[in-house]
Amino acid sequence: MRTVTFAFTGKGGVGKTSLSAALIRLLSERYPDKRILAVDADPAIGLATALDMKPPMTLDDVRLRIAASIDKGETADAIDLLSEAKFHLLDCIAERSNLSFLAIGRPEAAGCYCKVNAYLKQVLETISGNFDYVVIDGEAGIEQINRRVMENITYLVLVSDGSRKGIQVVSAIHHVAVNLVKWEKAGVIFNRIRSGFDPPATQEIPPVLAVIGDDDAQAQNDMQGQSVFSLPDDAPVLRGAAQALDALLQENGS
Amino acid sequence: MKLFHDVLQQMRALLPEQPALSAAYRSDLCAESGDKNAILFRSDTAYELGGSGKPGVSSVLFGEIDASQDEVLVYGKDLCELTQDTAFAHLTIVQLKEHSEEDLRYEQLKEIGFRLFQLYPEGYHIRVSPSAGREQVRVAKSALQGAFPLSFINIGCSLIRLLREHEDVARVQTVFITGENVDYAALAALARKAKSITEAVQHTLQFGELDCASCKMKPICDEVEGLRELHMKKEKEKQNHGA
Ligand SMILES: Nc1ncnc2c1ncn2[C@@H]1O[C@H](COP(=O)(O)OP(=O)(O)O)[C@@H](O)[C@H]1O
Ligand SMILES: [Mg+2]
Repeated sequence: MRTVTFAFTGKGGVGKTSLSAALIRLLSERYPDKRILAVDADPAIGLATALDMKPPMTLDDVRLRIAASIDKGETADAIDLLSEAKFHLLDCIAERSNLSFLAIGRPEAAGCYCKVNAYLKQVLETISGNFDYVVIDGEAGIEQINRRVMENITYLVLVSDGSRKGIQVVSAIHHVAVNLVKWEKAGVIFNRIRSGFDPPATQEIPPVLAVIGDDDAQAQNDMQGQSVFSLPDDAPVLRGAAQALDALLQENGS
Repeated sequence: MKLFHDVLQQMRALLPEQPALSAAYRSDLCAESGDKNAILFRSDTAYELGGSGKPGVSSVLFGEIDASQDEVLVYGKDLCELTQDTAFAHLTIVQLKEHSEEDLRYEQLKEIGFRLFQLYPEGYHIRVSPSAGREQVRVAKSALQGAFPLSFINIGCSLIRLLREHEDVARVQTVFITGENVDYAALAALARKAKSITEAVQHTLQFGELDCASCKMKPICDEVEGLRELHMKKEKEKQNHGA
């Protein structure tokens, strides 16, 4: 079985979580017989609410528990610790029909997510093979690219709003990613775009997959704490995600 | 090993007189191996041994086995008779070869204990928390179907094979316990004690601390006959060796 991995990244607040959730819903509805893993890799969390799924533990909880047992000086060998981590891994995975969800959680040590990122990388390497699709809602910025948490991805999805800053971030991430990670196809989704916007035609960013306008249903849904599954089928965010998915899955595109 | 003698006896006393099922090891009874990274999803799971917060006691002990062959014992229902999450215990008794016991090394007990983590039978997803002495198992719906549904006998034989591949292992008895009629809390307490004996042996062999007053293993050495003797014997050997 080949695992197809989508990784979402971009500036904070541009719609990574909303679009990851939309894509996850589309995949789970289009392919009821396929297994999908949704990964909240953003310490700002949010995908859990967007999907209405909450596992009993996060990866950071597991990491802390194991670090604590080392600190207490308990006689634990590396193999014991691995077994311990493997024991709790299933507690980190919430399941609903063909969809599984896991989250890195919210590491307390301000600013340093390197340890949990390293752990996430290892977990993804071991469990990805169980799934047909993996969708990663990434952290804003380039940290996870730098640390190669998403080293082997099929589709790199960069999300930006219409702002100069958003596009700069997308271009910077793309630039770093070219040298550090492997992917088959990359593209940009422009989200929350006002009329009159012209996507920049430059070599600096990969092809545009979709342009999505203001989505009232999405904004409302979010405000009421509802999941992506209660969005109407024709919500712009869902339609845009579908367009992006089709563009990515199309053979021979670049 | 004499050290575990009392614990083992107390554990056995907690079990019914006769097992519901028993089988001598046979290689053709071993379960099929699965993928070590495979996740058994909830939707594919029939039930979980030790699931829903029920007891799931796990223990590996080193002791004497009064049987002429490697064997699997089952107390309570076998896998195909179970339908829902159930209390569970899994005890494995390993008898070391005589010469191995005489010149016991720190790594041996560890290596042997770790073999339980290397068991990946198809449709039987084991997870072990060494710190909690806990073993939980998801059993696949698919494993219980067909003409030959999976049995504890198959799992036990796989484990025996894995353990017997270790050069220091002379004999193995592995015991699966399910159902509500067993005092799991008492079993868990004994499993913790067994673990602390193992740790004390390892500590002794690894660090060879001489000052009992300051050693954190003192309480267990005070309690378990033979631990201190083992320690002193090892020390003496070391000194003789050094001289
Ligand atoms: N097309 C859109 N129209 C209106 N609001 C949107 C749109 N896309 C996202 N939002 C809202 O913008 C906010 C930030 O989106 P989010 O997906 O959390 O961004 P990120 O994950 O990149 O930080 C959320 O409140 C979300 O509901
Ligand atoms: Mg987000």
